[in-house]
Amino acid sequence: MPKALLIEDDSETAEEIKAELVERGFAVEWAATGIEGLDKARQADADVMIVDRMLPGVDGLTIIEQIRKESVRTPVLVLSALGAVDDRIRGLRAGGDDYLTKPFAIGELIARIEALLRRPADNRDTVLRVGPLELDLLARTARRGDRALDLLPREFRLLEYMMRRKEQLLTRAMLFEEVWNYKFVPTSNLVDVHMGRLRRKVDLPEEPPMIQNIRGEGFILRAPA
Amino acid sequence: MRSTTFRWTLVVSAAFTVCILLMFAFILAQAHRMMTSDIDRLIAGSAEGVVAGSTAEERVLRIDEHLRVNPRQAKFGALFAPDGRRIAGNIASLPPGLTRDGGPQLVTIQATGASGGNAQTVRAVAQAMPDGSTLVIARTDYEFTWIVHTVERALLLGLIPTLCLAFAVGVFLNGRAQRGVEEVNRTVQRFVAGELAERLPAPRTNDPFGRLAGLVNGILDEVESLIRRLAGVGDDIAHDLRTPLTRVRVSLERARQKASNLDELQRSVDQAITGLDQSLAIITALLRIAEIEQSRRMDGFRNVALAEMVREVGDLYEPIAEDKKVAFAVSAADDAIVHGDRDLLFEAVANMVDNAVKFTPEGGRVELSLIRRGDDAVVQVSDSGPGIAAGEVDMVAKRFYRSDKSRRAPGLGLGLSLVAAIVKLHGFRFSISPGPGCIAEISGHRIAA
Repeated sequence: MPKALLIEDDSETAEEIKAELVERGFAVEWAATGIEGLDKARQADADVMIVDRMLPGVDGLTIIEQIRKESVRTPVLVLSALGAVDDRIRGLRAGGDDYLTKPFAIGELIARIEALLRRPADNRDTVLRVGPLELDLLARTARRGDRALDLLPREFRLLEYMMRRKEQLLTRAMLFEEVWNYKFVPTSNLVDVHMGRLRRKVDLPEEPPMIQNIRGEGFILRAPA
Repeated sequence: MRSTTFRWTLVVSAAFTVCILLMFAFILAQAHRMMTSDIDRLIAGSAEGVVAGSTAEERVLRIDEHLRVNPRQAKFGALFAPDGRRIAGNIASLPPGLTRDGGPQLVTIQATGASGGNAQTVRAVAQAMPDGSTLVIARTDYEFTWIVHTVERALLLGLIPTLCLAFAVGVFLNGRAQRGVEEVNRTVQRFVAGELAERLPAPRTNDPFGRLAGLVNGILDEVESLIRRLAGVGDDIAHDLRTPLTRVRVSLERARQKASNLDELQRSVDQAITGLDQSLAIITALLRIAEIEQSRRMDGFRNVALAEMVREVGDLYEPIAEDKKVAFAVSAADDAIVHGDRDLLFEAVANMVDNAVKFTPEGGRVELSLIRRGDDAVVQVSDSGPGIAAGEVDMVAKRFYRSDKSRRAPGLGLGLSLVAAIVKLHGFRFSISPGPGCIAEISGHRIAA
């Protein structure tokens, strides 16, 4: 059972996050103040930490900086009501691994926590495989079974990202931030359109679909059963 | 009466008085010096004239001659025997303290005759004669005394009216300043109380108060326009938020009353969530604009190669345009580099393209190009959409404004406000002009080829 440490002063938000995480099979420890949070974070027995930026008396970033100095490597998701791009960058620079702006969909939070827990190991393989799907990073070629896929560079990048995180829910915001490396919120359904392109190439109508669209949440790449 | 202006009037008057007194003192001192040297020359000349007489009798004659024309009783002269007895002239006795052959000196003499009796202060020379007698020639400095009197009168007649005048002017200026300040005070108070049209009377003159009034009016204009714009934005936010929130309410209400199974309930809740997401997106966009508008940080600025960035935006939006069956052409042949924040510029250009694609109907065309225009690099997005009326050009970039023609198109109406905020932060220019459809441009100074 993965353990999550939640450092959040607003009890209502904390209760909601806790309930959702428990339901997903997490053991959750909750710290309502920065001091308590820092103490618990130092014990480093959590698998993932969720840290609110604005805690009474102490900035969440200070906690993260402190534990990073003490060589605690637990992945951290920073929560903040400050949406500024600068704040996001500061959060990541302080040692956070991901950053989520309030208000957020609970699904987005869970997806990001799962992603942190299952961060791809530093994979040096030059060929990625998921089921029949094969991606050659050196030759820049992709195939599904015997069928060669003709991918544009951006589609190749997207598929690579998804293959490294197979069977994980990837939200639109995550994809937009990580694959396109953009820090703004697109007003159009950009991710859906790009994903639609890739899907039409990866999943032909007669094939069992590998890219699944989870309504309202995001996308998952799975090997067909 | 304790106002600053009044205190200054007093200080200036005092300084003025001191200046005048110093000036008169200086003039008097100079006049005195000049007259003394004149008198000294005169008495020395007269003494020489008398000494030129070779015999004692002739010298007596010359003294009498010298004293004959003496209307003001200013001239004195006498010859004294070695025992101090007066031989001739109008000085009663040898003045004490007068050195013989010592040059002109200031001494007190006792006059004889018509002017006699009283002691007088004079300039005098004494010279020893060959026969042992002493010649004394003297002259009063009555002209100087007269000048001193004149100056005293002039001071009385001049300084007092001047001071009175200065005082009056001070009181007048003080009153005027007070009135001006009170006017500003009243106007600003009325303005603060909500009368936004309140202004100071238009300045008639170019004096400091006129300029101050102009300045205050300028500030009031700016504040009024900000307040009105804010109120307008508030209305627009309320309106744009009400639409999705109403949908949320309707779908939740329907779910509560009508949903008979889980599927129906979920569908309604999904609708509600979509509505809430739209509301949140509006708020996020607003915060983002505020963040950019308030950002004064330029240290994130780097050299940005526009061609590469433009191609990336093109890459990002090409599938969107294609899905909408809008032809999309990207040309970025220029190698312009500008100084800026790449992420923000990307966001701005992406928004322009987003907007163009959104408002261009199926079968239309959108072009994204990087052009060189003199020293400027221009990112241009033109479309074959419905275009905008000339009167709307300014309004388009205002927050939330959406052209009436496009009220039905999805979107937040915030896109171009965001572009305008980013462009302003960079000190670039943003322009929208009616083309066949609409042409939006960002132009900024190229720093290198």
